[in-house]
Amino acid sequence: MEKIELYNTLPAVFAGREDDNSEVWLRDISFEKGKRYLISAESGTGKSSLCAYIYGYRVDYSGKIAFDGRDIHELTVPEWCQVRQSSIAYLPQELRLFPELTAMENIQLKNRLTHHKTEKEIVAYFEQLGIPEKVDSPLGKLSIGQQQRVAIIRTLCQPADFILLDEPVSHLDEANNAIVARIVSDEASRQGAGIISTSVGNNVKIQVDKEFKL
Amino acid sequence: MKNGLMWKLLRKHISKSQLVGFSLANLIGLTIVILAVQFYQDVLPVFNDQESFIRKDYLIITRNITSAGAMLGNKSEFSDADIHDLESQPWCRKVGRFSSSNFGIMATIGSGGAGTMHTQFFFESIPTEFIDVDPTWTFDPKHPEVPVIMSRDYLSLYNFGFASTQGLPKISEGNASSVPMTFTFNGNGRSETMHGHIVGFSSRLNTIIVPESFMKWASSRYGDGTVQHPQRLIVEVNRPGDPQIQDYMDAHHYEIAGDKMSSGKAYYFLTLIISIVIVVGIIISLLSFFVLMLSIYLLLQKNTKKLQDLLMLGYSPTQVSRPYVKMVVYINCGVLVLSVILMLLARMYYMETLRDFGTNGGTIVAAIVVAVVIMGCITMGNVLAIKRKVRSLWIQD
Repeated sequence: MEKIELYNTLPAVFAGREDDNSEVWLRDISFEKGKRYLISAESGTGKSSLCAYIYGYRVDYSGKIAFDGRDIHELTVPEWCQVRQSSIAYLPQELRLFPELTAMENIQLKNRLTHHKTEKEIVAYFEQLGIPEKVDSPLGKLSIGQQQRVAIIRTLCQPADFILLDEPVSHLDEANNAIVARIVSDEASRQGAGIISTSVGNNVKIQVDKEFKL
Repeated sequence: MKNGLMWKLLRKHISKSQLVGFSLANLIGLTIVILAVQFYQDVLPVFNDQESFIRKDYLIITRNITSAGAMLGNKSEFSDADIHDLESQPWCRKVGRFSSSNFGIMATIGSGGAGTMHTQFFFESIPTEFIDVDPTWTFDPKHPEVPVIMSRDYLSLYNFGFASTQGLPKISEGNASSVPMTFTFNGNGRSETMHGHIVGFSSRLNTIIVPESFMKWASSRYGDGTVQHPQRLIVEVNRPGDPQIQDYMDAHHYEIAGDKMSSGKAYYFLTLIISIVIVVGIIISLLSFFVLMLSIYLLLQKNTKKLQDLLMLGYSPTQVSRPYVKMVVYINCGVLVLSVILMLLARMYYMETLRDFGTNGGTIVAAIVVAVVIMGCITMGNVLAIKRKVRSLWIQD
C-alpha cells in the first residue's frame, strides 16, 4: 500500500457542523508510505474515530477513504484481514490487550499470525523499553505505562506500509517516549513504512514530515 | 500455541452446566428418535414376513350379499368402473381379478379304491403376482395336466374334519402332490378328462387356483363364450389397517374376507404410536438445539470484546469462530456416539422378548443414518449461528 487518502471525510456525529479549523475533516488529504505524520488534536475532535475508520472497524463517516485509490468500503473481510496482518500496524489508544494472558502471550498472539519477529527480538524490545522482568507476568498485573509498552511491541510485530499510532506515549515519561520514538522510527525505516501518529499534547519524539491539526 | 492461546482466551464464560444440560437433552431426544426407528425395524418382521420398510398386504373383497338383495337379483360382480375407482384410492397399489370357471367340473380324488371321492368342483384364477406359492407353474395344452393351488384351510378341513372321522389317511403338505386327481370338464358339447396335481397350499387365497393360461384355454374350450365380470377382487394395499379402507368398503357395501383388517389395525396403531414417539423425540432434540443456541449466543455476547480484539489483530472471523465450532462438533459427536450406544443397549433388552416371536430383528442401518442426519442438521445449525454471530462483530460502530 503506497497511499492512504481522505476525501471530504467527516464523522457522522459531526454531520452538519461547518468546521473551518480542521485540516483533516472535510478536506482532501493523503498519507504516503515512507513519510511521517503527526495529527495533533484536542480531546473530542475525532482522533480515535479517524484511526478506527482507517483500520476498518468503524464506518460511521461521510466522504471517502481510499487505499491506493480504492474506496475502503469495497474491501472484503479477507482483504481487511490481509491489511491488518501486513499493511497497517495499529496501536489503539485503549491498547486492547488481554489481561488474562502474560505480556509475552499477548505479543505472541499477534506474532504467531505474522511470524514477523523472533522471540529473541521480542525479548530485546522488552529490554530496551525497561521491562525485561515483565515478559512472563500476567498482563493484568502490569501498570498502565508498562501495558502501553507491551502494546507498542505487539504493534511492531508485523510487516507494515503504515504504522498507525493512537496516542502512543500518553502514559510514558520523557525517557521512555524517546526510546519508543527510536524503536518505532528504526522499524519504519527498516520497512520503508510511513508513520501516522496522533497526540493530544504529549507527542512521540519522532521527526515528522507533516503535521495536521484535527 | 496459537490455538492454545485462543482457547485460553475464549473458553472464559463457557457455562459447563448449560452445555451439560444441552448434551443431556439432546442425548435423550436423539436416543428416543433412533430407538423408535430401530424398534420399528425390529418389530416389522413380526407383522410381515417380508422385511421391507414398506409393508405389502392383500385384502380379498366381495360385494355384500344380503338375503333381500340376493332375491332381488342385485349384482354381485365388480364392473370395470368399480375396479378403476378402487385402483385410484391412495391406499391401493394393485387390483387383481378372480376369474371363475363357467363350465362344469367333476373332480375325482383318490386312486379308485375305497375312499375315492367324486365331487362337483370349481376353479378360479388370478394374476400370478398375487399368488404366495411357487408362481412358476405353467399349463401346456399339448400335454394337458392341471396344476392347482388350494387354500391351506381346505387341507386342515380334510385332515381334521373329514379324514379323522372317516378313517382316511391324512395328507401332509409334502405328499399332497402325489395324491391322484382327475378332472372331467363338461361344456360346449365336450366332456374331457385330464389329470391334475396339487402344487401348493396358500394362506392368502381361500379358493382353488389354476394358472390363468389354463383358465383361458378351458373357458374357450368348454365355456359358452360370455364375458364374466369378476365377483371377487384381490387388492394389494400399503397400509392394511388404515381406517380409510374400512370406510371405503362400508360406503360401497364391499366385504373384506377373513380378519385381515384386525391384524392390520394392530400394525396401523403400532405405526401411529411409533410416529408419535419419533415426533416427541424430534421435539426434544429441537428444544435442546435451541438451548445450545442460547448458550452459545450468551457465551459470544459475554466474550464480544475479546472476539473483536482478536479480529483487530488480523484474525479472520473463521479463525476466531474455530474454537467454538470445534467445541460444538466435539459435543455433538459425543452425543451421537452415546445415543447410538444407549439405543443398542435398550435394543439388547427388548430383543429378548422379540425373539420369542421368532424374529432376530431388522437392520440397524436406518437408525444410525437417522441419528447421523439429525445430528448433522443440528451441528450445521449451530456452526452457522456461531459464524453469523462472529461475523456480526466485525464492525464496531
